[in-house]
Amino acid sequence: MKDIARQSMSIKVESMDLLNGQIKIEAHASATYLAMASWCEQNGFFTSAKFFFKQAEEEREHMMKIFNFLVDTGGNPISPEVTDINHDYSSITDIFESTLEHEVKVTKSIHNIVKKARQAGDIATERFLDWFVMEQVEEENTIRDILDMIEVTGTEGVGLQMIDNQVANWIE
Amino acid sequence: MNVIFQSTYYTLYQANNERCFYLDFGQKTVRMSLCQLLSLRHKIMDIHIEDHFDGDLNSHGFEVLMLCNKEHLFILNTLEILDLKNLIENGFMAIGLSAKSKVLIQ
Repeated sequence: MKDIARQSMSIKVESMDLLNGQIKIEAHASATYLAMASWCEQNGFFTSAKFFFKQAEEEREHMMKIFNFLVDTGGNPISPEVTDINHDYSSITDIFESTLEHEVKVTKSIHNIVKKARQAGDIATERFLDWFVMEQVEEENTIRDILDMIEVTGTEGVGLQMIDNQVANWIE
Repeated sequence: MNVIFQSTYYTLYQANNERCFYLDFGQKTVRMSLCQLLSLRHKIMDIHIEDHFDGDLNSHGFEVLMLCNKEHLFILNTLEILDLKNLIENGFMAIGLSAKSKVLIQ
C-alpha cells in the first residue's frame, strides 16, 4: 500500500495540534501587547507604548512563522480565535510584570512541544522550534532587564518619566 | 481500495490510484484528500462530547458536520460522534501520521 499520508504530510498530527495551540498563544500574546500599548498611550508612557506596539508585531511574526511551517509540512493551520484580552493594569510595573509572566508561559508551552515532538520522533518539529527556544531566552531577558531598571530607578518623583524614557534602550 | 480502519458505523479506505481516502458513512461514501481528512479530524476533535450530556449546552444531542468545503452535510448523534472520534484516532494511527496517543495527548 502506498504511503499517501506520509507523502502529503511530514509531521505528526499531535505536533500539528500543539503547534496550532501555540499559534493561538502567540496571537493572544500579540493582542495582549496591543492592549498594553493602548494602556501606555492613555497613561502618558509613550516610549513604552512604542515598545509594546513592536512586541505585538513580533508576536504576530512568531505566529506566522508557525502558521507557515504547518503549511510547508502539509498540515492544517487554524486561524486562531482571540478572546479575553485584559485592558486593566494598575501601574507600569504591573504591565511589565504581566509581560514577564506571559513570556514565561510562552516559554513553557514551547518547551512542552519540543519535549512531545522528541518523544514522537518528530525531528522536523523539534528542529523548527530551536529558533523559538532561543528567542524566548532573549524575550524573557529583555523584560527582566526592564524590571531591574524599574527597581533601580524607583517610581517616586520623576522616576516614572525616567523609566519610560529608558525603555527606549530595549526598542530595536 | 484498502481498508485503513473500520469502526462500528464507519470505514476509512485508501485509494492508491486516486491518491485519496474514502470514508463510508453508511448511507453515503465521501471522497477526501488528506487536507479534507485533516479538516474533518479538526472538526471532530473540537466537539466536546460532555456537552451532549448537558441540556443547556446541547439540548438535542446532535452535531451538524459540514465536510469537504460544504459539499456534504451530516447530522450525527452522540454514539455516531463517539464512533467517528474513534475512527479518526485509529485511522490516523494506521496511516502513520499519529504517534501513540497516550504519549502525546496533553
